[in-house]
Amino acid sequence: MSEFLSTRIRPATALALAVALLASGPRTVAGQGGGDDQLLVLAAASLTDVLPAVAAAWAKEGGGEVRFSFDATSRLAPQAAEGAPADVFFSADRAWMDWLEARGGVAPGSVRDFLGNALVVVVPADRPAPSGPTGLLALHRVALAGENVPAGRYAQEALVTLGLWDSLSMRVVRGGSVRGTLEWVTRGEVDAGVVYRTDALAQPAVRVAFAVPAGTHREVRYPAAVLSSSRHPERADAFLDFAAGPAGRELFRSAGFEVGASAGSPAGPAVASLPDPASAVRISLVVALLATLAGLAPAVWVGWVLARREFRGKALVSTLVFAPLVLPPVVTGFLLLSLVGTHGPLGQALAELGVSIPFTLVGAAVAAFVVGFPLYVLSIRGAFEAVDPHYEELSLTLGVTPRETFRRVSLPLALPGIAAGAVLAFARALGEFGATVVLAGNVEGSTRTIALAVYTLLESPSGRETTWFLVGASVVLSMVALLGYEALSRRQRRRLEVHGGD
Amino acid sequence: MATEWKGIRVDVTIPLPGRDLEMRLETRSDALAIVGPSGAGKSTLLRVLAGVERRARGTVEVNDRTWQDPTRGVVVPPWERRVGWVPQDVLLFPHLSVRENLGYAGAKASEIQETAGMLQVDGLLDRRPRRLSGGERQRVALGRALLSNPALFLLDEPFSALDRPLRAQVSATVKEVARARGIPLVLVSHDEEDAGALAGERWHLADGVLVRV
Repeated sequence: MSEFLSTRIRPATALALAVALLASGPRTVAGQGGGDDQLLVLAAASLTDVLPAVAAAWAKEGGGEVRFSFDATSRLAPQAAEGAPADVFFSADRAWMDWLEARGGVAPGSVRDFLGNALVVVVPADRPAPSGPTGLLALHRVALAGENVPAGRYAQEALVTLGLWDSLSMRVVRGGSVRGTLEWVTRGEVDAGVVYRTDALAQPAVRVAFAVPAGTHREVRYPAAVLSSSRHPERADAFLDFAAGPAGRELFRSAGFEVGASAGSPAGPAVASLPDPASAVRISLVVALLATLAGLAPAVWVGWVLARREFRGKALVSTLVFAPLVLPPVVTGFLLLSLVGTHGPLGQALAELGVSIPFTLVGAAVAAFVVGFPLYVLSIRGAFEAVDPHYEELSLTLGVTPRETFRRVSLPLALPGIAAGAVLAFARALGEFGATVVLAGNVEGSTRTIALAVYTLLESPSGRETTWFLVGASVVLSMVALLGYEALSRRQRRRLEVHGGD
Repeated sequence: MATEWKGIRVDVTIPLPGRDLEMRLETRSDALAIVGPSGAGKSTLLRVLAGVERRARGTVEVNDRTWQDPTRGVVVPPWERRVGWVPQDVLLFPHLSVRENLGYAGAKASEIQETAGMLQVDGLLDRRPRRLSGGERQRVALGRALLSNPALFLLDEPFSALDRPLRAQVSATVKEVARARGIPLVLVSHDEEDAGALAGERWHLADGVLVRV
């Protein structure tokens, strides 16, 4: 009876794999240095469109090839501090550049401060736009970039200065990079978002409602510098000279950036509001429990059908059920958002019932449910397959109907395997990250699970102790769940033993 | 038996990889033994009668009822056939005690006690099947079939794990119950002695061909 587990994918292996993938997933791979001639530039996400154009112009003048890794500054700066094999860093605020400089990550004297940006409030093109800051109070949901992402910090500062923060904070949805925030506005998942003017110009599906008053937040500056880990410091310096020179400035200006010296406002401290670890653990447990309970009946049914029934399209059904196991969780999250989001076919039907999935605890549970379901079904299908169908046949000949046979024979014989599946799905739900962040966002107190809290903390220079607490909680919970899974799997095999060991 | 036993008629084809297994049997005997080498399809014939051999195409008639006839669109499901089937691999439900196995089809406690006594397993009622010997399991399986109030016994090598003296006793018990309640039986065996002790009519099955001996 034990061969059945070893001949198919062991769910524990699959889980370990998924966890490993998740652990490496969220961070941008900075590359391996690539060709020796190429420069690698780490740059704030808001420079995604303009910097390649600058690099192309530089290459035309014989400058050489440049590769980019665009991400939120809060993720790039720690990567640079850890010695990523990169040459240049474009930060989206001074605080992170100062932080990196203090750690010796910047080549002395190489910082240039010639680039600025402005914040605007954007709305989906088909929605009414508030005409000024107080109009935000009438909206249901407002998206900001993450609290450690410069765009998110500037936006929060502005709302605080304008005296709107206290009333708005419960309606604020925090994303990751400013590009992710823009995506939510584009799809109409939120009523408005605070983004850079340059991002708004690049996206025709959104409309600028009003500009955030310049004096309400620290200046948006993009200090750029050569990294001390650069292997081509001179060429990196030359690239920055070109970018800050007349040709470069013209390109930045036409993309909507402000070019020139800063007005000289102070950099300010790298403020960070840290996630509450107790709330993260509580939310994780609630989300995982909801996903596990909601999945029980469907997983038993699908597992039994896949184990016992032959029908047309069975391969298609199992492909669909198991797809989230191999799809990148972020892709699963995107598909879910398309389906149950505000404009999704299912989302509209749910909205009429008053159920909103995106950015809610229910959304986090839905993401955890979908991603954990394959492991659930895999385990339960294995349990049913391990039950000799002759038992069911024999029960039928004793005058017991198929339904009763299922209740009295199939179900009890597969019970430990079903429990094992539940434990596995629970563990997977606890570890869910990618689909959750896309579908449910990263909202403190309602969707910020352990995984999301750790992710937020990784972007923050402070809060290492909290990180370790959450990492510990995560490891302990996962290990306990996997031990439970193993114990239940052993019990499943013992339950089906016909011949005793005695 | 209340009415006269009209016998069994089987005419089925079972598609197997390579060749089709065709089985034809027509008998009016109420105590039938099927003998023959292993792998000839004896157990399959019992599965056809029990209604759990889904691959079987053709007609099955037992007594005056049609259990399977594709031309008339008739299939009587196994839970309505009332067969007391003891398969070769016994198949006691591993998650149930001996008592629960015996009472699976709904027998009363007193009936369970009586049958268990008859088959000398009354000391084992609270055990799980995995704590039984092969012979004990076989007797419990016989008891479970007896207690399901069957209209037809299907016994597949039911005494193979019993030693000689016990085999004679249990065989006599089954024969007695079958005769007392008027339950016809089909016995599959490779043991001529078992076949002789229980059955009146003997058929030999080899290469899918049933021949009356």
